[in-house]
Parts: sequence; C-alpha cells; structure tokens
Amino acid sequence: MEKTTHFGFQQVDVDQKQGLVKGVFDSVASKYDLMNDVMSLGTHRLWKNYTIASSNVSKGDKVLDIAGGTGDLAIKFRKKVGDSGKVILSDINGSMLEEGRKNLINHGVIDVDFIQANAESLPFEDNTFDCVSIAFGLRNVTHKNIALKQMHRVLKKGGSLLVLEFSKVENEMLEKIYDAYSFNLIPKLGQFFANDEDSYQYLAESIRKHPDQETLKAMALDAGFGFCEYHNLSGGIVALHKAIKT
Amino acid sequence: MFRLAIEKSLNHLINTNSIQTERLDDSLIGISFHDIDLKLFFMFANSRVFVIENNAQDSVDVDITLNKKAFLSLFNGASFEELIENDEIEINGSIKTAQQLADLMALSSIDIEELVSQYTGDIIAHQLGKTLNVIKGKSIQDTGEIFENFKNELTTLLVAPSRSKIFKNKAS
Repeated sequence: MEKTTHFGFQQVDVDQKQGLVKGVFDSVASKYDLMNDVMSLGTHRLWKNYTIASSNVSKGDKVLDIAGGTGDLAIKFRKKVGDSGKVILSDINGSMLEEGRKNLINHGVIDVDFIQANAESLPFEDNTFDCVSIAFGLRNVTHKNIALKQMHRVLKKGGSLLVLEFSKVENEMLEKIYDAYSFNLIPKLGQFFANDEDSYQYLAESIRKHPDQETLKAMALDAGFGFCEYHNLSGGIVALHKAIKT
Repeated sequence: MFRLAIEKSLNHLINTNSIQTERLDDSLIGISFHDIDLKLFFMFANSRVFVIENNAQDSVDVDITLNKKAFLSLFNGASFEELIENDEIEINGSIKTAQQLADLMALSSIDIEELVSQYTGDIIAHQLGKTLNVIKGKSIQDTGEIFENFKNELTTLLVAPSRSKIFKNKAS
C-alpha cells in the first residue's frame, strides 16, 4: 500500500488525507450550496438533473447516495423511489450531514436515512442497493479503488453506480479558460463568499489530480463492474460514469 | 440523449404496466445498423433494461442487424417474421429473446423517428422549426397574458381600487 497520497497538489501521508479533507469540508459546509451555485453559475443543478435522469431508478428501489453532502441528489432520488423505496444519504463528514439534514427538512423530506460512513468501508450488507451514487465526492476519497469495490459489493446484480465528478476537459482552448478560472477566480470567490481561500484552492487542485474519464472507467471495470461508460458534460468539465454490476 | 430516451421510455413502460422482464434478465442484445453509424446494446438486469453504446463483454446473446427503416418499424409493431421474410433483418441467436425485445419496443410510445434523425440528419430542420414554433407560441402566449393582466389590473383599479395589487394589504 502506498505511504503517501495527494491532497490537492501537495503530497501527504496517506493517514493524513482523511483529516485534511475533513478540515476542508468542515470549513465549507455551511456555504457549500451557495458556493456550488456561484462557482458553476448554477450548472451543477443541470449536471445533477442529468445524473438523476440517467439513473434508471424506479419506484420501490433502494438508493445509496455516498458523499451526499447537502442532499440535493437524495431529495430527487426520494421522489423517484416513492414511499415504497428507500434512500440513504451517507457522508464521512458530520458537518455536511448536518447541512444535508437541514436541507432535506426544508424540502419537506423526512424519511431519508443519514449515515456517517467512510466510502472505503460501507456499513451495508452485500447486494443491498439498486443504485449507488457519488457526486463530486470520489476525488476526495483516499483509496478510490477500495471505495469502488465497496460500491460494487453493496449493489445488487443489475444495480448501477453513478459517479458524477470533475474530469478532463476535451477542448484545449476551453481547458485554458477553465484553468484560469479555477486557479485564479475560484479561490477568490471562496474568500469573498465563504471567507476561505485555501479550501477552494484545494478544490481546484483536487480536480486536476482526479483520474480522467478513461482511467476512471478502467478503475470501475477493475473493481468488478461488468460494464462502464461515461458521458462528458460541459465539454468534459464534468463526466458522469455509469457502471453496472453484472 | 438518444439512448437515454429509449432507455427511459422502455423502463417507464415496464414499470407502469408491471411487465415481467425477469425472463430476459442477464440477456444482452446487440442491434447494429446497415445505414447508420450506430450500435446499441440492450442489457436486461434487475428487472430493467439498460441501453448502452459500448460493450466491454465479448459476446452477446442475440445479435440483430437491420436498417433504419426496419428499426423504426419495430417501434410500430412490425412482426419479425415479416422482416425476416423480406430480408430486412438478420438475427444471430435466440429469435424468441429478440422477439421479446421487439414486443417491448412496439409497446413503447416514443417518437423514435425524431430520435433516429439525430444520426441521419434528415429532420434537423424539422426539429429546429418545431423549437422555433414553441418559442414563438410561448412569446405570443406571454404577450397575451401580460396584456390580459394589465387589462384586469386597470379594470380593478378603476372599479375597486382597494382590491388592486397597488393598494392591496396597505392600511387606508
């Protein structure tokens, strides 16, 4: 097992990363939704809607939303599974879960279960869920391959995994503009709106360290999924990987 | 979007009509076209269907080759026998499994012609025209609504000023 890993552009001890990421999300939790809207100019809502539309989730299904944070996906999944289904929102970070709980109550959703859990050791039995999702969370996981294997384990046969994550921009010109935006403007926006430049510097850096589309697809297949495909959104700024347990 | 539309439509059909697809579970059916650069795989699992473009698995249970016209006719309920007799379709594998997929397609109610046009480009203008008509219709409707609201507000103001939005909830 590797002894060091990346935390943004820094190389840190593997044991340190989880605590450092926790620090970032403790700091940004209360402003998370606002910052998502500001940074993506609201586009994150379209990306998430596309994810839900691609989910193939239906009434009565059991859904696990990992790194569910403020619960925007969980709210939409709850609508799709209906009263006969079940949605569980998990996050490793207590502050984010707290924000998620508030947000769901504000939306009148009270029957989603909240579980504080590490994606690398999911506290669920094998073959439990019809769908597992993780939106903008996988890049913060220290051992992504272990987390993917866990997701595969808890999915039923024929269940699908949805990974929505920042990815590799397809167009060179767009990549330059995107780089300039994320390294110069995003930390400043973080400072202005959330009084926290460092956390948003990390967010920008962590995106660049995340595996690109093809690498993540190979990782999903390696974790045991029989099928995986991805769809680029906004020119590859974000990609939705959909993997099916066969 | 094309795949997603077919996938959603078929699954909607399966769910709303409680169609039992368990007998098709674990089947992988490939459809390729003579005249369109498109290959689709229909994967049945967990009582639902996934429509995918890339298949990492080596083999399919049924491989169907046909042309665009025959594909469209499946959505309109054409029988396999007829298509086979007319040499419009080739099936490698279980015809029974292929027929079950065709039955599902025939029951679905999507505008498949419009979806396929994305790949052939023959009704892009039609789609553009349709979009423009929607926008045009909406703006006419909006203008009408604004004018109607203005008329109503003016009438209320003249007849019963206290009920007008201008004075409503304001102490006299």
